[in-house]
Amino acid sequence: MRMPYTLHPLTSLTAAGCTAVLTTAAGAWPLSLAVALAAVLLAVRAGAGQQVLVAASAVLLPLGLSLLMLHGLFFPEGRTVLAAWGPARVTAEGLAFAWESATRTGACVLVLLLFAFTVSTPDLVAALAGRGLPPQFGFVLASALTLLPAMAGRLERIRAAQEARGLVLRGGVLSRLAAVRLQMVPLVLGLIEDSGSRAEALDARGFGAPGPRTSYRQVADPPAQRRLRTTLLLITAAAVALRLVASWPAAGPA
Amino acid sequence: MTATDPTTAAAATASTAVLAARIGSFSFHGERTPALRDIDLSVRPGVLTAVLGGSGSGKTTLGKLLAGWHRPGQSGTFTGSLTLAGQPLEFRGLEDDPRINPSAWSTRVGYVPQDAAAMLSTVRSTVAEELAFGLENRGTPRRDMLRAVARAAEQTGLTALLDRDPATLSGGELRRLAMACAVVQDPWVLVLDEPLASLDAAGIIQVRDLINRLTGAGTGVVLLSQSADGLARSAGHWIILDGGTATASGIPRELIRSAELARTGTLLPAVTHAVPAVRGRAPEPEAAPVLELFGLGFGYPGTGDADGEPLLRDLELTVRPGEIVAITGPNGAGKSTLLRHLNGLLRPHTGEVRIQGRSIAGIPTGRIAASVGLLFQHPRDQLFERTVLREASFGLRRLHGRDAAARADEALEAVGLAGAARTHPAELPASQQRLLALATVLARGPAVLALDEPTVGLDRHGLDRLDRAVAAAAARGAAVVLVTHDAAYARATAHRVLALDGGSLREG
Repeated sequence: MRMPYTLHPLTSLTAAGCTAVLTTAAGAWPLSLAVALAAVLLAVRAGAGQQVLVAASAVLLPLGLSLLMLHGLFFPEGRTVLAAWGPARVTAEGLAFAWESATRTGACVLVLLLFAFTVSTPDLVAALAGRGLPPQFGFVLASALTLLPAMAGRLERIRAAQEARGLVLRGGVLSRLAAVRLQMVPLVLGLIEDSGSRAEALDARGFGAPGPRTSYRQVADPPAQRRLRTTLLLITAAAVALRLVASWPAAGPA
Repeated sequence: MTATDPTTAAAATASTAVLAARIGSFSFHGERTPALRDIDLSVRPGVLTAVLGGSGSGKTTLGKLLAGWHRPGQSGTFTGSLTLAGQPLEFRGLEDDPRINPSAWSTRVGYVPQDAAAMLSTVRSTVAEELAFGLENRGTPRRDMLRAVARAAEQTGLTALLDRDPATLSGGELRRLAMACAVVQDPWVLVLDEPLASLDAAGIIQVRDLINRLTGAGTGVVLLSQSADGLARSAGHWIILDGGTATASGIPRELIRSAELARTGTLLPAVTHAVPAVRGRAPEPEAAPVLELFGLGFGYPGTGDADGEPLLRDLELTVRPGEIVAITGPNGAGKSTLLRHLNGLLRPHTGEVRIQGRSIAGIPTGRIAASVGLLFQHPRDQLFERTVLREASFGLRRLHGRDAAARADEALEAVGLAGAARTHPAELPASQQRLLALATVLARGPAVLALDEPTVGLDRHGLDRLDRAVAAAAARGAAVVLVTHDAAYARATAHRVLALDGGSLREG
């Protein structure tokens, strides 16, 4: 699962970050919607459509609902009342604000998820280390990304061991939940114990040593991409400045 | 032991030894009895030194102390000295003792743990990058790094695997990668903890070749082993470790028949399985089978061999009460996969498994467990409780009611772990972890015992316990199916030896 074209991980990171900031700064729902759609299309093209959509809905559905509840029903500035139940009023302005926020957040989340699911983690870690970021940071980043599969594997082994000794798993949700409770303690204790023995090995392999590091993995960073990153950062900075200037008098005292 | 005046001994060894250790005592923090005491060891360039001893004799602690994995002061209290390339470091167990920098020390003295996977960083995506991890951390210029990685890969036969994901390597490949991770630093001394454990014949040849090449190139190699096997016999010097102390040292020829070696529980492969003590009388041919496999077929999704054939196909097996069947075959032949079908952890795609005449299709594994006990290949996959006693007692109450506690005690007694009931399973040496896993199977008194590589990591005392347990189970009428790469053990123990080859079983 890679980007269909070779982007330096920092280029895709910059592009994702700048797009998120620009969309926020613009604050126009048609743009947000377009960005969100583009992100989904790119994810599908990169073969990560399903993962991005599943992760995005896990974040966005609860968020969208809460925005709707908060702004759709209780928006003090709302004038055009569409319906009212006691203190709760559905106003056109409230709905518009909720829609605006939801599309903006949706665009940002989708763009960042697109980056997260398509970037090559080893490339990103190597690129960050090459820019002088502490190697511990890269290690934590890579560990975090490999932790979930490792935990799932260990959980599976514990379950097999318990079943082999008479733990009966039925299809029911309650039975599964009860089994998870039985497996959590060994899982956590096992992970802690693993980290202890791994620490000795990491020490012996110079992980805790001070001083400069080098990187075996090299990530090509063509000059064109470096220029693209600079341009993107400048445009974003300009857009943010423009936005601040534009909204300054309105925010200040009349 | 060299019982001469320490200063003269040091002077004599310093000229030839690249690493010399004089261990007065080493105790882990919070422990009263020292884990190691009175050991003198010197490693000469290009010489293989074997440290032999049974399970729990202190081999791993010694190896880790030599290699800076256990650091004096931080891991425990150490009195004695470590001399690297003629530079002595004296330790008196005090605050102002010298400190060992594990990063610098390990570039000179490498250690490869028994569990090879514990050596890996787990965050590198290819074998080449895993090899380079230690070099990166020490700021090695990239050009030197490329050279060192290529050289270490060539030495360890990993050149063709450099682009593979380390998580996809076989046991033998993983062991060579762990060794390569130490070799890549070009150490003067390499300490190898049970480097041949659980390798098949091909893997053993590769690792032995590698050790020969290393000693040929001048590296001093320390072998920690509980088996006086061919590799250990090729060593130039032996040290026999018993109860944390060196009871004898000298050349193999002089020590192989010594009382000191016999006491330790070290395996002597040529003689260990010579007496078929276990087998007992042959099973009744007319008795109704306990275990039957009919036309078993199974393959993991997305795998299969070159022809796309599944791992197991049309596999047939019948085992009668009291019968011991051994299944052999190379790594990856599907032996463990086959055993996992016996208790329903895996379900066949075609065919049927019958236990005591009843098909197990549709019965949950947890229920089949009442009749089938499975000893997993890796004991750590089987153990999950906080104490040895809890481990042996898990799930027994449902099976044996009030007798549960007595059953657990009895099983621990049978494997010699009755005295360790309150110990955390992770703190046991590897050999005893396997025996504990065996106890959890024995305690259930199953009709079928399925044992996956039961001999791996066991010393002679452990093997005796295993032999007795298998014999006792067969005598009470259980069917025993054991999978092993140890052909001699299979022949000595089983009534029938079958080879798993091309997905089916044939007479071996």
